[in-house]
Amino acid sequence: MTEGPQPWRPQWGMNTVITVMVFALLVAAPYWGLPNYWQSLLYMVFFWVTLSTSWNLLSGYSGYFSFGHGAFFGLGMYGMATFATKLNFGFVSSVLLSGVVAAVLALAVGAVVFRLKKIRGESFALITLAVTFVLATLIVNTSIDGGPGVYLMGVQTPALGPSASSSFYYLGLGLAAVCLLVARFLFFSKAGLGLLAIHDDEDVAQVHGVPTFGLKMAAFALSSFFAGMMGSVHALYVSYVTVGETFNITVPLTVVLMSVLGGVRHWAGPMVGAVLITFLLNAFTDGASALIGRIAIGLILTFSVLLMPKGIWGSFQAWRKARQKAQHRAGSQGADSQSTPLNHVATKAPEASVQPLNWEREPVALRVSGLSKHFAGIKALDGVDLTLYQGEILGLLGPNGSGKSTFINVVTGHFSPTSGVIELAGVGCAGMPSHQIRRLGVSRTYQIPRPFTGLTVLQNVMLSSQYGVSSTTHEQARIQAMQWLEFTGLASKADDLPDELNLHQRKFLELARALAAKPKVLLLDEVLSGLTPGEIDVAVQTIRRIRDQGTSIVFVEHVMSAVMALSDHLLVLDQGRVIAYGLPQAVMRQPDVVKAYLGEGHAELSLPN
Amino acid sequence: MLELQNVHVNYGAAPALWEVSMSILPKELVCVIGPNGAGKTTLINAIMGLNRTRLGSILWDGEDLTGLPAHRLCERGLALVPEGRRLYGSMSVHENLLLGAVHPKARAKRADTLEWVCELFPVVKAKLNQAAAQLSGGQQQMVAIGRALMALPQLLLLDEPSLGLAPSIVSEMFNVIQTINRGGTSVLLVEQNVSRALAVSERTYVLENGRIVSSGPSDVIASQPEIKKAYLGL
Amino acid sequence: MPSLNLLLQALAAGVFMGALYGLIGLGLGLGWGILKQINLAHFAWVFLSAYLTYDFKTRWGIDPLVSLLILVPAFALLASLLQAVLAKFAITPFNSLMATFGISVSVEALLQLVWSADFRRMPSPYDEMKFRFGGIIVTYSESITVVLAVLVCAWVSWMLYKTDVGRCVRAAAEDADIAQAFGINARQLSLGLAGVCGGLAACAGVCVALTFTLAPSQIFAWIGVVFAVVMMGRLASAWAPLFAGLVVGISESLTMAITAPTWAPLVSFTLLILILLLRRGHD
Repeated sequence: MTEGPQPWRPQWGMNTVITVMVFALLVAAPYWGLPNYWQSLLYMVFFWVTLSTSWNLLSGYSGYFSFGHGAFFGLGMYGMATFATKLNFGFVSSVLLSGVVAAVLALAVGAVVFRLKKIRGESFALITLAVTFVLATLIVNTSIDGGPGVYLMGVQTPALGPSASSSFYYLGLGLAAVCLLVARFLFFSKAGLGLLAIHDDEDVAQVHGVPTFGLKMAAFALSSFFAGMMGSVHALYVSYVTVGETFNITVPLTVVLMSVLGGVRHWAGPMVGAVLITFLLNAFTDGASALIGRIAIGLILTFSVLLMPKGIWGSFQAWRKARQKAQHRAGSQGADSQSTPLNHVATKAPEASVQPLNWEREPVALRVSGLSKHFAGIKALDGVDLTLYQGEILGLLGPNGSGKSTFINVVTGHFSPTSGVIELAGVGCAGMPSHQIRRLGVSRTYQIPRPFTGLTVLQNVMLSSQYGVSSTTHEQARIQAMQWLEFTGLASKADDLPDELNLHQRKFLELARALAAKPKVLLLDEVLSGLTPGEIDVAVQTIRRIRDQGTSIVFVEHVMSAVMALSDHLLVLDQGRVIAYGLPQAVMRQPDVVKAYLGEGHAELSLPN
Repeated sequence: MLELQNVHVNYGAAPALWEVSMSILPKELVCVIGPNGAGKTTLINAIMGLNRTRLGSILWDGEDLTGLPAHRLCERGLALVPEGRRLYGSMSVHENLLLGAVHPKARAKRADTLEWVCELFPVVKAKLNQAAAQLSGGQQQMVAIGRALMALPQLLLLDEPSLGLAPSIVSEMFNVIQTINRGGTSVLLVEQNVSRALAVSERTYVLENGRIVSSGPSDVIASQPEIKKAYLGL
Repeated sequence: MPSLNLLLQALAAGVFMGALYGLIGLGLGLGWGILKQINLAHFAWVFLSAYLTYDFKTRWGIDPLVSLLILVPAFALLASLLQAVLAKFAITPFNSLMATFGISVSVEALLQLVWSADFRRMPSPYDEMKFRFGGIIVTYSESITVVLAVLVCAWVSWMLYKTDVGRCVRAAAEDADIAQAFGINARQLSLGLAGVCGGLAACAGVCVALTFTLAPSQIFAWIGVVFAVVMMGRLASAWAPLFAGLVVGISESLTMAITAPTWAPLVSFTLLILILLLRRGHD
């Protein structure tokens, strides 16, 4: 197997050994005579590593770029200033309390902002920036600071290590190490998978059952907790805290810069950026070169955003993966080519199973009556009745604009119906939110596949298993996901990114994701469009096998050959109304249907030849 | 005048059209029909340079269009009435029309052309200063055709003009299209409304799943089994 | 409660500040709404232009209004060239924010390298000359700023709404594909518009040099409040930034007059937060 992010088992081996050795070295260094200058420099490295890694927990993983990390850092600084000087708390309690206060602010902001769909992207960045300045103004005008700043000379810092600067060295090292461990753990966990999915497509993640609000809140709180703690330690390092120095735009922007340069989509990316930039900034000490250094850094950031959008670590990983694939392909001759034929799909195709003669005796999987959906005066659906029997494949047809996609969107909870009843195995579900309906056993595919582009094929399906039905362990979810990938013929692509799949494979990934939630009813939205005739045959066989495993299917399709081959019944919509229902051959000959598709004047075509 | 030779087009990363060859002569009215998803819009977009042609060539009076940047096509005599109208909703009808006559030859004559368009579509004249987004579907369609006419085209490309329109307006619109054709402009009409399209055109191509499965005079096509199979699966 | 005279003076100060905010915000908003770029380098250009104005005056005695005529075309060209490079990379608006931030950082360091971090104030006769309305004093510099801001907004409005080019620009911003289909060369237009934004930055810079004390770190101090101004109005609008700027400037200066200067940022940033929370969701 390749060495990409493997969410179910951390890699023991070379990497861990190296990490432990480096950490041991860092711990021992002051005792081995590391000069004070270097201890201070390394403290600054640990400082920036902690700030940027903590920032990344929310912003890198979930894509909610915050420009307000300075607010939490600043709260930490002033937290220490207030708790230690004015309230005389001890060192440890001040640090922890500062972290908690910062986390509380994050939760307060998140409670308002994360519920609003419109606050994403730039809006979130701006709101968090604004919060920083509002906080700064409040602090400078109240007794917390009041203007002149706060002196922390008298506060007792715990004495760690051989010198005064070693205390901060070890405090910084400790915080950075814990922060990195937390970041790594989160990255490989179920919650981390959810956050990464939010980054790629929050709405689809929600439909798959990911508790987006809860995850964002937790990540934000965790992120600011560390920022607050680091701030509180830093307050003692600088020993004089002012609003101007604390709450300017430098901290948030530097943190973003370091993380973006290093690579936001990995737990170690920000660390790489922080180490690099801190050393760069300090490599030039005298006036003019420091400035030239800053000019260089600015240009580096610009070019890396333009040329290396994944950041240093991300590009490195992509390069490593590409090299492994090339070696793999060279090693095993012609193992997989771009157009992987999916006909090595497991076992023989089952014989077309015997269909019940009298469908009405079968239990009903989905019943819809009188369903209507109006959009600003347009009746997209007008009193639609539909009955899907257990084990049936129902073709949903109609010309463009007849309401087929709206029907799927309403049944899956993306829109709430204007009126009408929807019952899933007898349980009413009209108006329920989409993730609840999914939990009741309804899955759908999208006409244009919407996979999580940053997750591997396997992770895409795993997300559906883990968050979809009932709680499964990481390992169970992985096994189930692999099974679905084998079912859809994508097993060899498990560690690839969706970008590397062709259209057919992406549609089958959609299918695997929908199936991973173990649905009782599956709604397929034009899953065959764009496929070659050979691919269509494979798809038809797969759909039959899905039905044979116990899922009832409604599918919207235009490829008539497939429709006629698969459907037990057909339902035709036109302008939001049902105009025909029944056995396929009979329905397509009805004059109403012919007129809907071909227009007036083709009535003669309806005569059987 | 317009000739497609063995054109292959992708939609995004996926292939959408295979081995498409067709031609349009001056003053002809040709239609392309086919079920949803057959690739009709991809075809029109490929001709207008909005979709890249992977293989094959699109010749306009002998010149290969496939290498040209998209904004150079209008001045050569092609004008588009896109699927869904796609007017500039925030701008007035008047501005939308003016924005059809961007290339120099059309710009020079735009006052006269505007008058002619207003005569052709009295409803457009009436709504000249209204924001385009406020018009009804049928009215917008008229404006979209008017905008294309402002470019003084030799070939008018229409992508599913009857989509979403009430039947009475559809009749009116097809009459207009015929009038335009009789005035000397070639028309390539892509339609889902089969009977109307066959009635108004001289020649027809049938597109199914990205390939041309049948072509010929419209009355011959109307009676062939391919249409039934493509649309009804029979 | 301060006297009426003081309040009116604060109002005048707010009008001046608002005009300046609007002038800076206009370039930012046009770029964001039409080019779909969030150009943080805009602030860097404003200050580079301000420093150059300062330099031209102190070194060669060139009047700032004459510098205007030199700097506007120069920065228009500079911005166009930058756009030509940026357009080669397909980046999201958010990434453009990051990329241009890098440029700001570089320019700020450059400013500090050439002119040092010391505060610099351009000596200018326009500061001495004043208008008096009753008890209120308005310097020539401040008036020039307001007049320039109004003129510039009027010009942009005319260009966007009354000329063919402006129409094409708006069309390309609304639906790039269809605009291309009708012969509009979106790429050329984007270069031109970037140039306009550069020219606007240069103009704002001259005004800043006339009225403010300069320091390289100032670049970042203005980011928050100008973003507040831009987000308050429609993005690709000629007059909205000016009106929003006036609202922010006046509320800030009145707040400062009634309470204390240190409370001023609270006004603009709280306004920004409220606007972001309350406005209609956009796509």
